[in-house]
Amino acid sequence: MNDIAAKLGMTGDQLEGLLAILVRNTVILIGVINVAAVMTLVERKVSAWMQYRHGPNRVGPWGLLQPLADGVKFIFKEVVIPYGANKPLYLLAPAMAAVPAMMTIAVIPFANDVVLFGKNWGPLAIADIDVGILYLLAIGSMSVYGVILAGWASNSKYSLLGGLRASAQMISYELSMILAILAVVALAGSINLKEIAALQASTGNPLDWFFFKQPLACFLLLVASFAETNRHPFDFAECEPELVAGFNTEYSAMKWAIFFIGEYSAMAVMSALSVVLFWGGWSVPFMPDAPWYLGFAAFLAKVSVYLFLFVWVRWTLPRFRFDQLMRIGWKVMLPLALLNLLATGAMLALFGPPGAP
Amino acid sequence: MANALFYLVAALSVIAAAGVVLFRNPISNVLSLLFAFFCLATIYLLAGFQFLAATQILVYAGAIMVLFLFVIMLLNLAPGPNAPELERVGLAMFLRRKSGVTIVIAAALLILGTSAVLGTHDTAVQAAEAMPKKGLDAITATPGSSEGLAGEMFGRYLLPFEAISMLLLATAVAVVVLAKRSRPENS
Repeated sequence: MNDIAAKLGMTGDQLEGLLAILVRNTVILIGVINVAAVMTLVERKVSAWMQYRHGPNRVGPWGLLQPLADGVKFIFKEVVIPYGANKPLYLLAPAMAAVPAMMTIAVIPFANDVVLFGKNWGPLAIADIDVGILYLLAIGSMSVYGVILAGWASNSKYSLLGGLRASAQMISYELSMILAILAVVALAGSINLKEIAALQASTGNPLDWFFFKQPLACFLLLVASFAETNRHPFDFAECEPELVAGFNTEYSAMKWAIFFIGEYSAMAVMSALSVVLFWGGWSVPFMPDAPWYLGFAAFLAKVSVYLFLFVWVRWTLPRFRFDQLMRIGWKVMLPLALLNLLATGAMLALFGPPGAP
Repeated sequence: MANALFYLVAALSVIAAAGVVLFRNPISNVLSLLFAFFCLATIYLLAGFQFLAATQILVYAGAIMVLFLFVIMLLNLAPGPNAPELERVGLAMFLRRKSGVTIVIAAALLILGTSAVLGTHDTAVQAAEAMPKKGLDAITATPGSSEGLAGEMFGRYLLPFEAISMLLLATAVAVVVLAKRSRPENS
């Protein structure tokens, strides 16, 4: 190790640090893309289970290799670009939908400091930055461009309507989402996601999780994340009975699939964010000194529950009407989020931060 | 390295800003502006203001430009054979039309803006030199500087900050008053 480092003009520690960053980032990014692939199978299997069907069961045992077959199919299908489409934007739109979701995963702290080979490698996150939540919200708000541009560049009325709906919906629910998150930020006194998770994990008592102090904010964030990721019951951008498939009507092959990789990645990020903010992140109940791999497993388990919830809601709740969506967003969610923030601020002003003596 | 990056991003932001007024397709204008916002955010980051950079993207790129796109898409400007031809707005049009007044005003604005920037640059340098070493260290020591920004905003500049927020509120109320049509069935 030290010989190679010397040849590259670095010390052994520097080389190790560099390698650790490379391995960690590669693992996290590939992990997210694989979550997207696995979620396509989970979605179909769970929907089949809920509707008393078999679901995919031809490729591999229990259809486990179905995502692989789907991927091959998508790659080899013909790419059709519709007449009159704005070609550069049409090709750019899927990337703009998928990239923000993958960028936002960078600030999610998956586990506490990783101790491996007798060395502390730092927290299991690509970037542990001070303005973590702001970065996540800022980059996350970019994903709406993919949907809008896809709708506009396709030169199709259905796509355009889908794009318009998506932009109105995402802006409306972003407000409630940010206000709900702000209540937690006020409580934690930090916008660094790692610090927020560490605050809840320090004693190992599950009652320290912010869900028990901010249940309303947790619910508001859940509803807002359905709207932000364009999922049922708010998937108006791709409302089949009215808009064929909405913004992705004119897309085919891998371009179409990239939209869904983006959607599932966004779901994973929103789930991870909710877990960090409300369910203690990597905290293992009653084990304050749990090793990092147990914490990581606990984190993944909590995220899986959230992802299952997304699928569960999709296959059980009917879709709202668009005016109902807007009314809920502006007349129910926003006032509730504001009141919640006001109450949190009042409690903090009267009784001080929760950890204070 | 940081300097080279700054000049690169600054040049890109100027190009993007030019694109905002020179592209014929309104969607391209909006995307140029979006790109310019990202360049500005990068410059903030290079200066060490993470909070400002994130807010810039969150507010301008994430909300305001989406509304711009929304409005443009509602206008009938879809691409295709039936799209209306827009008149090219460019330097040639400025020179062709009787727009001496416009050019004079633009030139005056350019001079004013440049002198303002140069003036504030001098004052900023003076202020930085006059600032006690400890204060400067305190700001540069917190790279996110959200604490530093909050301290300034809710300490020294509290009154202007609140005044601006009142101004924004007044604007919002004014827009509602102007845009609201009196409904005959209600009155």
